[in-house]
Amino acid sequence: MTITELMPFSVLVPLIASLVCALLPGRFWPWAVTLVATITSAVIAAITLPAAAQVTLSYAFGNWPPPIGIEYRVDAANAFVALLVAGMAAVALPWAKKSVDREVPERQGAFYALFLLALSGLLGITLSGDAFNIFVFLEISSLATYGLIAHGSDRRALLASFRYLIMGTVGATFLLIGIGFLYVMTGTLNLADLAERLPEVRDTSTVRAALAFIIVGMGLKLAMLPLHLWLPNAYTYAPSFVTVFLAGTATKVALYVMLRFVFTVFAPDWSFVVLPLSTVLMILAVAGMFAGSWVAMFQPNIKRMLAYSSVAQVGYMVLGVSLVSIVGLTAAFLHLFNHALMKTALFMAVGTVIYQVGSGHLKDFRGLGRTMPWTLTAFALAGLSIIGVPLTAGFVSKWYLIQAALDQGQWFLVVLILITSLMAIVYIWRVIEAAWFQERPGNQPAAGEAPLALLIPTWVLVALNFYFGIDTRLTVGGATAAAEALLGGGMAP
Amino acid sequence: MKLARIIEFLISKRSLLAVIMLVLMAALVLADIILPPAYTRFPWEAISGFAAFFGFVACAALIFFSRFLGEWLLYRDEDYYDDHE
Amino acid sequence: MITSDWIHPSLVLIAGTLVVPLLKGRAMQTWMVLLPLAVLGVLWLAQPGEYGQMAFLGMELVTGRVDDLSMVFGWVFSTVLLIGAIYALHVNDQVQHVAAFLYGASALGVVFAGDLITLYVFWELMVITSVWLIWRRGSEVSFNAGFRYLVIHAVGGVVLLAGIIMFQFETGTTRFDQIDADGPAFWLILAAFMINAAVPPLHAWLTDAYPEATVTGAVFMSALTTKTAVYTLIRGYPGTEMLVWLGAFMTLYGVTFAMLSNDIRRLLSYHIVSQVGYMVAGVGLGTALALSGSASHAFTHILYKALLFMGAGAVIHMTGRSKLSELGGLYRYMPWTFVLYLVGGVSISAFPLFSGYVSKTMIVEAAAVDGRALIWLMLAVASAGTFLSTTLKLPYKTWLGEDSGLRPQEAPWNMLLAMSIAAALCFLIGIFPGLLYALLPEPVDFDAYTMSVFLKEMQLLLFTGLAFCLLLKYVGGGPKISLDVDWLYRRGGPRLISATGTAIVTADRAVRRVALGQLMRLTSHMERKHGRDGKLAKSWPIGSMALWTAIVLAMLLTFGVWR
Repeated sequence: MTITELMPFSVLVPLIASLVCALLPGRFWPWAVTLVATITSAVIAAITLPAAAQVTLSYAFGNWPPPIGIEYRVDAANAFVALLVAGMAAVALPWAKKSVDREVPERQGAFYALFLLALSGLLGITLSGDAFNIFVFLEISSLATYGLIAHGSDRRALLASFRYLIMGTVGATFLLIGIGFLYVMTGTLNLADLAERLPEVRDTSTVRAALAFIIVGMGLKLAMLPLHLWLPNAYTYAPSFVTVFLAGTATKVALYVMLRFVFTVFAPDWSFVVLPLSTVLMILAVAGMFAGSWVAMFQPNIKRMLAYSSVAQVGYMVLGVSLVSIVGLTAAFLHLFNHALMKTALFMAVGTVIYQVGSGHLKDFRGLGRTMPWTLTAFALAGLSIIGVPLTAGFVSKWYLIQAALDQGQWFLVVLILITSLMAIVYIWRVIEAAWFQERPGNQPAAGEAPLALLIPTWVLVALNFYFGIDTRLTVGGATAAAEALLGGGMAP
Repeated sequence: MKLARIIEFLISKRSLLAVIMLVLMAALVLADIILPPAYTRFPWEAISGFAAFFGFVACAALIFFSRFLGEWLLYRDEDYYDDHE
Repeated sequence: MITSDWIHPSLVLIAGTLVVPLLKGRAMQTWMVLLPLAVLGVLWLAQPGEYGQMAFLGMELVTGRVDDLSMVFGWVFSTVLLIGAIYALHVNDQVQHVAAFLYGASALGVVFAGDLITLYVFWELMVITSVWLIWRRGSEVSFNAGFRYLVIHAVGGVVLLAGIIMFQFETGTTRFDQIDADGPAFWLILAAFMINAAVPPLHAWLTDAYPEATVTGAVFMSALTTKTAVYTLIRGYPGTEMLVWLGAFMTLYGVTFAMLSNDIRRLLSYHIVSQVGYMVAGVGLGTALALSGSASHAFTHILYKALLFMGAGAVIHMTGRSKLSELGGLYRYMPWTFVLYLVGGVSISAFPLFSGYVSKTMIVEAAAVDGRALIWLMLAVASAGTFLSTTLKLPYKTWLGEDSGLRPQEAPWNMLLAMSIAAALCFLIGIFPGLLYALLPEPVDFDAYTMSVFLKEMQLLLFTGLAFCLLLKYVGGGPKISLDVDWLYRRGGPRLISATGTAIVTADRAVRRVALGQLMRLTSHMERKHGRDGKLAKSWPIGSMALWTAIVLAMLLTFGVWR
């Protein structure tokens, strides 16, 4: 079996496993099946990346040759994102067992089945080379995600899920409208084929409208300010494990789809000219960086605080995109990867606290530094990464982002990035201050250190944050290859 | 506590010490007058005993200036910052 | 970071520190002495050269650059770590020991850093570790002071990073040699270095925080932070004219504010500012003699300032008091502390035969050779002021003067031992300055022990003493604190913010009332126009989400389709 034939299994394995999972009773087996499926998927993604960085892999489903049949087409850009998605899921699952047992005590078979569906949906989006197929997988993953969020123990989870459903559906519909326009104009759905045929018809309003619809649709899923309003509630009220998983993957995949369309399908020399995309994205990115960080500084609920911080971090990625250069795109991909590392670690640490204490409010963090030193130290160290302290992964992506801004002579962006980093210090510091410098009120229950099943995955991620802050070969190499794949060669065979 | 005794003894002889000190200082100025200046990079290096005069004036100036600065502008009660922190 | 002929001293220290939390009692005390000795051993073996190259983000890092200048600071930092560790042997708080050693390791990391990225990493680590030496005092005052310390240095760190990034962008390298960029990179890096060198008006973190640090922690702090900054200035900014004037101003600023201080360690902290002023002025003069003077003055300063802080710390440790107005007459009870402190005092005052004399006179001489009359006079006034407050006023009011009624014991043996070692080194360097001069990068063409230098210095000091005796009753003091630049962020800033805050809130309220009215009208207009979608339209968040979606789409469409 060649790598090309193996590649689709990273989507199929979780998809099939989800059917099995839905039927399994009890608490152990659904989790175990999910774990095995996820790890398999991650291993396949890891094997694919080096191969895809060399040549673009193409796999035709059912032996129908593209552009008629559905094609899976993988270059460095989507292999990188696929590895991130599958990898984060694989790292998060060992952590999930305890937390899910606590927060979703019943019908875990269905829960894990939804998780696997969401995972295979996200992977399908990244790997697929067919526009309509992307939409189908987007709907699969979105529907599964709504279900996952609705599992939250807080009753507001239902409402949050409902709002996300509305907005997610609007986003997906916009994507569909965009794809439909393109199909009308070109008569094809295959991305590579689209890229070839579009130049002939691209001076029409329909194609321009298609681009606008796709950007807004994906901007919604990406939670780009001001289309982010669904995200804070969804992250806050979802079960901790779902938040951990979504924070590292869902928005990243949406960003990938947006980039794939903007850069590969519509070449950047067209899409950034026909719409004032660079300016619009830059303004929205900067606004997101500031608004997200600003709101995060005042949130009493730490999960919500981190959710707003995600809005800000999405801003950094979009900022990298808006610079339209190899370095800028590299920075965006780097931050896509590194942000997944740091935010997952942070949400894991908070989830661990919630597991022990039962609440993620700032006031319940008071004095925890003494009784749960490992958990809170993990939080503080991952916080360093989000601030962007040297030796952490966060520094690497900010470094590239600043370089990209300087390359274009945009000094003020450097200043803005540094200011928002200072704001990150403020919101991380609030937690540290509560944990170590405030006494635990007598009326709150004392909490001991969390079980190792939660601590070890958290610390693995913290360690990864530092590893990828020092050894940048994999991340910078992968991100550069991804950026070049998007900006340089298009979808060359 | 032998050292404490020695210090005590020295303190009891403080007028003698003061005399010795004054003689020493006079000797220094005298030496400065007798020995020709090694350099005259600045005009005052030619003036014998300038350093002595300058040291005295500088010290007095610092004492009065800092006192003036404190009482005019800078002194506050010790709990000045307390109510805010 | 390790090759067969190079082991990074910071690495040794960090590795050794990891063991500290596992040890207790005697074993820990032994380890605390062995560790700095091991670092001294590693330095002994170090050969000049560049080591520990690493690739990072496409830049080459040099984690270990050994040359004469970095070795001067390496030697004295490790020595003061040994002295400080002995001084802290009785402390049963492992957090402080760990913090102090890691702090020392980062300071060594800075002086051996061959590039700006490595320097930045250790520079920040120095802040994060040293702040615990303040916080472990355990009082609310020290927590707040430590916090202000942290904030100022965090700002300094951002400034440094911004400077480094621009420097890299401008020159394409991050190697740390003389900073020959122009434009913002030059000024940003200089500003960051000046914050750590406590150049007024960026000095207030020092005099605010050091007096609130733990008794033993302050010894390390007095030695390391400002002197690493002096090192970076010598390396990066020799001959920067502005520094001559700032340095001379610093010496006077320090001695003047020291006269106003009532807390003994605050008084000594102002003298750090003053003494670092000599070094900064030397860097600004930039001649070989001046730079040698700055390096050697940093060396001697670390030893005698540690000695002074140890003496003051011993008094605080034994009496629990730190204010001149509450001390007095201690010579009967703490005579050894008194005598050892005086050795530090005469050293800082630059009495012949003591260490300050052989280094400070070098800087003063360099100013004279350069023909800078005004600078020379300013430095001379500062000399008089140094003697006046550290060696006359402080000991007089602490050990002599009015009896305060305190009856403390003599300081414990380990404190006295640490002070004795420092005092012996001060004396040794004073008698054999050649030992120190031999370490310097450039051969030293200067002899402190000529009749003319000797006569001038002795006249200056003794007549200062005369003035003090005659004017004793006019010397200021009393249970007061004096304002300094830190007022700006402790009182001025908050006041300004609360004033502007009120204004903003008022304005914001007015603006929002108008804007909200408009928005309400707009949404109701939308509702009227699009009809009632049942419950969906009424839920504000979804309505608002949809509104924004519509706005963004409309914006893109207007630009794209109907151009």
